[in-house]
Amino acid sequence: MEAMVKKYQQKFRKVRDEMSRWDELQTRLISQFISASSIIQRLQVLQDSKNYGSLNCVAGVEDALLRKQLESLEVIFLSLKRTMEEFHGIVFSIEKVHRDGRQQIKGGSNQPSAKQLQLRVGVKPTLADCLDGLMVLYDMHHSEYLLKASVVSALSTLTLKPSASDLCALQQLLIDQPNIPKDEGRQMTKEEDNKDKEQSSNLMCHITCKFGKNFK
Amino acid sequence: MADQPETPTMETLDPQTPSPSPSSSSSSSSSSFSTVSYSKPPNPSFQNQNPSPMPPSLTRLWRPAAQRNLRNRWSKLVSCRKQWVSSSSSGKSHATSLVNAHLSQRYMSTMELGVLSDMLNIRKKAGRKLFKQQETFRSKLLSSYKDMVAAVTQMVNASKSMRTFLKGPSNSALVQFSSFSGDQNDSGDGGGIPAFAFWSISSHEQLADELVQMFIMELNLKRLLVLELLSTSCDDPQANELHWSDQLYPGEFDHLSMCNLFSQETCEPVPPKLMDLKSDAPTVRSNNQPNPEVLQVYITTWLAEVNIDTLRVDEIFAAIGEEMHVSLT
Repeated sequence: MEAMVKKYQQKFRKVRDEMSRWDELQTRLISQFISASSIIQRLQVLQDSKNYGSLNCVAGVEDALLRKQLESLEVIFLSLKRTMEEFHGIVFSIEKVHRDGRQQIKGGSNQPSAKQLQLRVGVKPTLADCLDGLMVLYDMHHSEYLLKASVVSALSTLTLKPSASDLCALQQLLIDQPNIPKDEGRQMTKEEDNKDKEQSSNLMCHITCKFGKNFK
Repeated sequence: MADQPETPTMETLDPQTPSPSPSSSSSSSSSSFSTVSYSKPPNPSFQNQNPSPMPPSLTRLWRPAAQRNLRNRWSKLVSCRKQWVSSSSSGKSHATSLVNAHLSQRYMSTMELGVLSDMLNIRKKAGRKLFKQQETFRSKLLSSYKDMVAAVTQMVNASKSMRTFLKGPSNSALVQFSSFSGDQNDSGDGGGIPAFAFWSISSHEQLADELVQMFIMELNLKRLLVLELLSTSCDDPQANELHWSDQLYPGEFDHLSMCNLFSQETCEPVPPKLMDLKSDAPTVRSNNQPNPEVLQVYITTWLAEVNIDTLRVDEIFAAIGEEMHVSLT
């Protein structure tokens, strides 16, 4: 039994690595989202020649600027798509860890009894705890991935009729990651130091503050 | 420099180049350069200015010297571009800070200060502080602009010194080369033969020109933005007002003339325009209290670098790097 719990420990370690990659991706996603949404918000201002001031003496500047901005927007959308694919990869790999874990218990030659599943050795968690933990982790990341995917696709529809408050709300949704309660996730993977997480969320705060201040 | 194995193929290419009509030459050569199909026909402007092509013995000596020169010039262009990118981005952040400080100062009188409003002279003090900040950012912005001018003038110099001339009499025992022409008959392009594998000196010049032209245009557009941002101020509209014909720093006009951006007829910088577009050149007029939207458009224009086609720039460097067997990154 103890050996099996050890194996689970390895699995959790793998999930923890995936989660720290998730955090990196999250930072990248937010900065990509912010770049896209600031371009989207600018588009309307850029479409009015009254806003060009002295630049009006440069023939064609309005068209050129709009074209350039739309090009950059397209590039950002492409990289957003790539980031989302990487998120999907993480979800996939957590799912695999979870499936393997279940296989190990339910499909193995010596299936542990219900009693063995609840057996606790020292301070180590029971097998049932481990299995549930993996399940919850997979669920959290899977639903968060779905949420992010729909936010990103909402962003592209907003390009046509931008609204600053909508963009802000979507951004907040991405930052908050409502499906992944920070404390819970940490406890499960027995992650002792959460410095990285704090840093990344501080960074996000920082970015949003800066973003909100400009041109207001 | 050790391109000896390739020499025979280059020699066979040589007689093809001065074909009777330039148009047929460009079409035939573009088909033979299928690997670089996106580039312009490599040698349309080529004319056989040199009535007597270099004797093979001299060509053999000329080529390594020309190759060394071209490598140096192109890597100079690469480093100038890096310099441009970094000064442009620092210029952008200075411009943003300047605009933010300016807007805060402008709206200071209407700002809701809450409990702070009881403090004596708080608006005045804040306003003074914001004013000081703007001064700092103005000078920083100007120095970024200076760096950009420096980058572009160096680019112009590099693109103009791609030729390698024979120094001294051609029959002397010691053959030397220089980047300055000493002889009317020497066009410095080795008689139009490829310097490396395929491209003659004039093709190299053409690509360099195309590249440098983008930066020159963008520099002029940025000049307009710098001018506008520097003259943006709340109080004392007269003090800060700058005109297009004003020199932004001592010696600026000398630098601008090197980039062909200074008109000797009107005695002021040529008006900014976009690549491939004619400018109808109305007078550049500035308004020193532009509204926030206009300032936003200015910053966006700074950021967007509409005159610089980044993909094309990378493409040119990649193609040249391949031609010279060095990686220009």
